[in-house]
Amino acid sequence: MLQSLGQNLVFGLLVGALYGLVALGLSLIFGVTKFLNVAHGELVMFGGYASFYAFSMLGLDPFLSIPLTIIILFVLGAILYRLVFSRTIKLPEESKIKNTLLVAFGLSVIFQNLALRFFTADERGITTSYFSQAFTLGGVRFPLPKVAILVVTVIFLIILQLILKKTYTGKAIRATTQNWEAASLMGIDIHKVYLLSFAMGAALAGVAGTLVAVNYSIQPSMGLGWTMKALIVMVLGGLGNIPGTIIGGLILGLTESTTSFFISSNYREVAGLVLFLLVLIFRPQGLFGSKEA
Amino acid sequence: MKKNNIIKLILIIVVVALLVVLPLVIKNDSTINLVILVLLYILLASSWNILGGYTGQTNLGHAAFFGVGSLTTRLLWVNGVPFLLSFLAGGVVAVILALIIGAPAFKLRGVYFAIGTLALAQMLNLTVGNILPEMSYNPDLANYQLLPRYYLFLGLTLITILTAAILVKSRIGLGMMAVREGEDAAESLGISALKHKLIALSISAFFAGMAGAAFAYYHVSFYYYMPFGSEWTFDPMMMAYIGGTGTIIGPIIGAVFFVLLKQLLVWNVGEYHLIIFGTLFILIVLFLPGGLVEIWQKFRTFLTKKTKRRKKVLLKATIQNEDGIQRE
Amino acid sequence: MKARMSIMALVVIISLLLASCTPAPTPTPVATQAPLETQAPTATEVQYPPAPEYIEIGASIPLTGKFGSLGSQVKVGYDYAIADINADGGVYVAEYGTKIPLRLTAYDDESDPTKAVSNLEKVFTENNVVAYLGGAASGMHAATTAIAEKNKVPYLGVSFAWWNIHQRGYKYLFSPFPKSPDQARDVFKALNELVPTKEERPTNIAIFQEKTDWGNELGGLFKADAGPAGYTVAYYAEYAPGTTDFSTLIMEAQAANADMLLGMPNTPDGIAIVKQAAELGWEPKFIMLVRAPDAATWGEATGTAGDSVTMFAGWHSGENFDGIAEINAKHQTDFSRPADILVGPAYACVQILAAGIEKAGTLDRDAIRDAIAATEMMTVMGNVSFNADGTGNVLNPLVQWQDGKMELVWPADQKTADFVYPIP
Repeated sequence: MLQSLGQNLVFGLLVGALYGLVALGLSLIFGVTKFLNVAHGELVMFGGYASFYAFSMLGLDPFLSIPLTIIILFVLGAILYRLVFSRTIKLPEESKIKNTLLVAFGLSVIFQNLALRFFTADERGITTSYFSQAFTLGGVRFPLPKVAILVVTVIFLIILQLILKKTYTGKAIRATTQNWEAASLMGIDIHKVYLLSFAMGAALAGVAGTLVAVNYSIQPSMGLGWTMKALIVMVLGGLGNIPGTIIGGLILGLTESTTSFFISSNYREVAGLVLFLLVLIFRPQGLFGSKEA
Repeated sequence: MKKNNIIKLILIIVVVALLVVLPLVIKNDSTINLVILVLLYILLASSWNILGGYTGQTNLGHAAFFGVGSLTTRLLWVNGVPFLLSFLAGGVVAVILALIIGAPAFKLRGVYFAIGTLALAQMLNLTVGNILPEMSYNPDLANYQLLPRYYLFLGLTLITILTAAILVKSRIGLGMMAVREGEDAAESLGISALKHKLIALSISAFFAGMAGAAFAYYHVSFYYYMPFGSEWTFDPMMMAYIGGTGTIIGPIIGAVFFVLLKQLLVWNVGEYHLIIFGTLFILIVLFLPGGLVEIWQKFRTFLTKKTKRRKKVLLKATIQNEDGIQRE
Repeated sequence: MKARMSIMALVVIISLLLASCTPAPTPTPVATQAPLETQAPTATEVQYPPAPEYIEIGASIPLTGKFGSLGSQVKVGYDYAIADINADGGVYVAEYGTKIPLRLTAYDDESDPTKAVSNLEKVFTENNVVAYLGGAASGMHAATTAIAEKNKVPYLGVSFAWWNIHQRGYKYLFSPFPKSPDQARDVFKALNELVPTKEERPTNIAIFQEKTDWGNELGGLFKADAGPAGYTVAYYAEYAPGTTDFSTLIMEAQAANADMLLGMPNTPDGIAIVKQAAELGWEPKFIMLVRAPDAATWGEATGTAGDSVTMFAGWHSGENFDGIAEINAKHQTDFSRPADILVGPAYACVQILAAGIEKAGTLDRDAIRDAIAATEMMTVMGNVSFNADGTGNVLNPLVQWQDGKMELVWPADQKTADFVYPIP
């Protein structure tokens, strides 16, 4: 019983890291640009398919295919920004959020059907030769693919923080996040900052997609479910708050796993949604967001 | 203007009369089924429009009300409650749900309201699927008739459109639009935003619930959780936008257009109609927030201007120093 | 201005009506150039009414979505059988004194029961079909069989084990496929025969029951039949279809010392179950997942975790009935592998339907229905006859994935490979 609970909690945390990673891209984009890209789940899906095809056609290990996924999704993100989202940047914040939300719904419908067309509705997954290997610690099992989630998430969190803190682009992004008008006056190219943040957010979704394909499965209609998770996590962690996002992911993972353990695995997603609604109503700035965030 | 109103009235009567006699003239079930689908979408898109279009609250949980309506009606009906009672219960329960969630939901502004309602619909979808996973069969399969179902949908659609048309001309309707244009400004004029949003939500939910009730009456077999699916929110929302939100005719045009496109494309090449519809939706949100209605209006103004200009030139040519032309 | 809008509405509505009246774009007929042979049955001159160009059959099949991997196999089976029958001129219909080719109008329902229902209505009204062929998965059949009953159209369906729907008094429903009671009974029977030493058999069963009508039925039957066959149900859990995380169920099954898993997941859920069981180090000696492993992509999707998993799908390409060799040859050309597991039962459906039409001698739906009910014939899935409730009396072979291939392991007289036990 106790060991079972421990195993559940560990799984909750490991899966929670994935939720955090899925939400990281969404949160980055929202924080900088105030675009609410609810087609994020579809970007996760594309990342998953990129790795899946790299694995099944080229025999590339999913973790080695991550750079490839990043490039593909980065380019896709840049194209999406140029073609679609850039049209909304002049709008006031409230209508910008609403319009990007609507536009992204349109995109998710399009992406879902394009995926059906080109990838078929068949469920895909990546099964590596080492997927069932695990180590045991205090009677709790740590399967490698799940541990890989944590490792990959931490790596990308560090990379993201380094980019944001150490590079000129990152500083420009942070300046824009705080006050885009001031940043613009300082000579920062807002368009470029927006483009880069959007493309980076998309690339992060792609990385998450690889992990989803390794740990779960991918199919054309998976988008909405992952978008929901990303939204939940983003709101838990405070909109646009990057470390908060990861913590939000862990909280969602733990909520789901404890619900599975104490109630029923059928209600794990419902539990996440209930938590989401409660936070929305009582603490819309997120559990870790400050009032003005 | 008066003449226009008469023409308008005549046209509406003609359209309604055509729809009334349609199944008596065309005895083809697939045509009737197709029109029922259009009517269902008009119902959903128009009811969504009351809150989403006129009151400016992007409701991404419309399916929750549709689903609750169909669930209530079907459950009561299957368990022997007289049909009429079960049918009305569908709308009533949807309103009850709206009132329960309304006050907390409207604490959320703008985008929070949108994603909150989305979460709510997803939650209900999953929960109903957990509690009632079985297939629901029409309790009276042997006597299934299409005609009463058609007229039920037609009647319901007409009532919905009529209600919406009356509502938006009323004080409450004007209040709803004031809330859409700016909550704080509306409040400063003494218009209670919460009250108007709640009224709009209740009416919207009622007709979505009634649409669900009609769906439950119409469908031979469905899973209870199916009407809670997100497509019952997104498709009508896209229809309302493509037709033109905040207009009576917009959702109607959007629904007809959607079904037409689907009819023309779906059987040939898979799901292209959704790709095209999605693209159109994006274009409209980005460039033409008024939808097809606005395109039509622009086109018309363009035409009238052109003819007026031509007239003007003509007039100028014939009668010099005359300046009696009224501009719009 | 509003008047113009109303005119527009009118125009749109009229154009909609026109669009719906014009015939829908013809779906690809399976055989367009089927030769029409006239057969003179007797020397005497008989005046036959003009024969219709085709015998119209309608279907809604989940070609995409969660049942897409099953439905696409079913479609292949239908197409092959119709092509074969039409190559011979079609089905002889006495009423018209000639052979008439079959034409299947099949639409994809994307695994959505609502779409399946409207597809069947559509082919009924637009193509005036004389019979329906089913899609795949009990949950889909559950929706579509009601339409067949309402429209009084004979319905033949496979990949369809739900037994209880046959008890609703439906007259037009026929399913030449092993049903839940057969599956629950045979899993223990097969296991006891294949593992003769009692001590080597698994003892504690974990049942993962999908929360659907059929899941509920089969799960209950597994539970009821386990005791008498000498097994204990150590763990029983329900889950909603579409669950992505089975870790809690697996951990609990592990904690209950279960060494055998029974379930009826759809393909995506089944893949998740075996992969997550391997991750968590749960190694049951025997796994039977009805339905999920039917997918041709199972081996690729699950890797080693899906190996040795067993299933019941009513057929296997290694059986030795007439016609299977030809189907396999064709499938080999088209897909580079012998026929998938649901191709055979689907093929048999068309064989049964064609025989029924020929025996009825007319295209009257009720006559065809009666003829199908009296079926007693050899098909590619062996001898088929129907019970009064529309369930078929058919074989129920046990199939096991071995090294990325499906092998028939039971009954012994049909087997293509030895049973692998316990799961290595």
